[in-house]
Amino acid sequence: METGLHPFFMAADGGRSGQRFCIHHAPVTQPVRGAVLYVHPFAEEMNKSRRMAALASRTLAESGFAVLQIDLLGCGDSSGDFGDATWADWVADVEQGARWLREQHPAAPLTLWGLRAGCLLAAEAAARIGSDVGQLHWQPPASGKALLQQFLRLQMAASLVDGKPSTAAADPRQELAAGRSPQIAGYVLNPALTSGLERTQWPPAVGAGRSVWLETSSRDNAPLLPATQTALTRWQQAGHDVVARVVPGPAFWQTQEIEDAPRLVEATLHAMQELQDEALPA
Amino acid sequence: MDVQREVLRIVDEVLSLGGRAQAFTRQTHLLGAIPELDSMAVVTLITTLEEQLGITIDDDDIDGQTFASVGSLVDFVNGKLGG
Repeated sequence: METGLHPFFMAADGGRSGQRFCIHHAPVTQPVRGAVLYVHPFAEEMNKSRRMAALASRTLAESGFAVLQIDLLGCGDSSGDFGDATWADWVADVEQGARWLREQHPAAPLTLWGLRAGCLLAAEAAARIGSDVGQLHWQPPASGKALLQQFLRLQMAASLVDGKPSTAAADPRQELAAGRSPQIAGYVLNPALTSGLERTQWPPAVGAGRSVWLETSSRDNAPLLPATQTALTRWQQAGHDVVARVVPGPAFWQTQEIEDAPRLVEATLHAMQELQDEALPA
Repeated sequence: MDVQREVLRIVDEVLSLGGRAQAFTRQTHLLGAIPELDSMAVVTLITTLEEQLGITIDDDDIDGQTFASVGSLVDFVNGKLGG
């Protein structure tokens, strides 16, 4: 197969649901060691993490992994508006991306790799796809609910920064509960997106394969964040085979400037080697 | 725990100040004085304080005064830590 970076549009649901912008990083060495689907985070975090996702994808491709990056419905260069997207649409996009990788690289073990909200989507899709799918989670959130709460805070923060009282705008939670679509920081939120995000099972149903979690910290020798440790324990108690590690690096998905976390890229390559070894027949 | 030091470390990281926050004092103004502190940075700051210091912040606890200066932010965090 040709090596390098191939951008293309994937017809979603046989063309009934528009197109998804994808980038396929073909493996530089053969045979392909594994296939990896990257699932991006929510809203502005997607933009902030573009560079790190590209860096890690390229590093994996150079080490013999095939990587597919997919822009979900209403995100990036894919069809639709953000406000069109439901949680179920996004899970379906992840599953379709996984099918495409399986068709391209049928012999390669498959891993779903998520960042923040992308972890929730990847885990949900992995549990549906099956036991031979590995998961790699970058900075998994404590829960979908916590992630949504953080995003909804943007409205309150905007009123602080503008010096206007927060009563000026309707409470986005009430808007969503009434089935309306509030706009937060330029993103129109579909109630069918936020309800799915809030209800995401975390840990997901047991069924997918091994997971590796990677978290960055600006502190030296930092332990896992308490919320991550709690989530990890819940996963383990639910019967998941999961390990978690902390690597030094910035919170690049939310820092003010675009930043690199090279140690995370290294740890990612190492984690993929572990996951792939696990997936090989004994 | 040196709360002011932890708060400044988090402020520096979130706002990508490259170490500039180390020179901040209690009197240093934040909201309206540091252009990097926009609404997204305020949310990130709240979340990072919660995650890294193990505190819970309710949206109703926060007003413009909370982020007015390093001193007001440190006092707010101290209150949440119960210290």
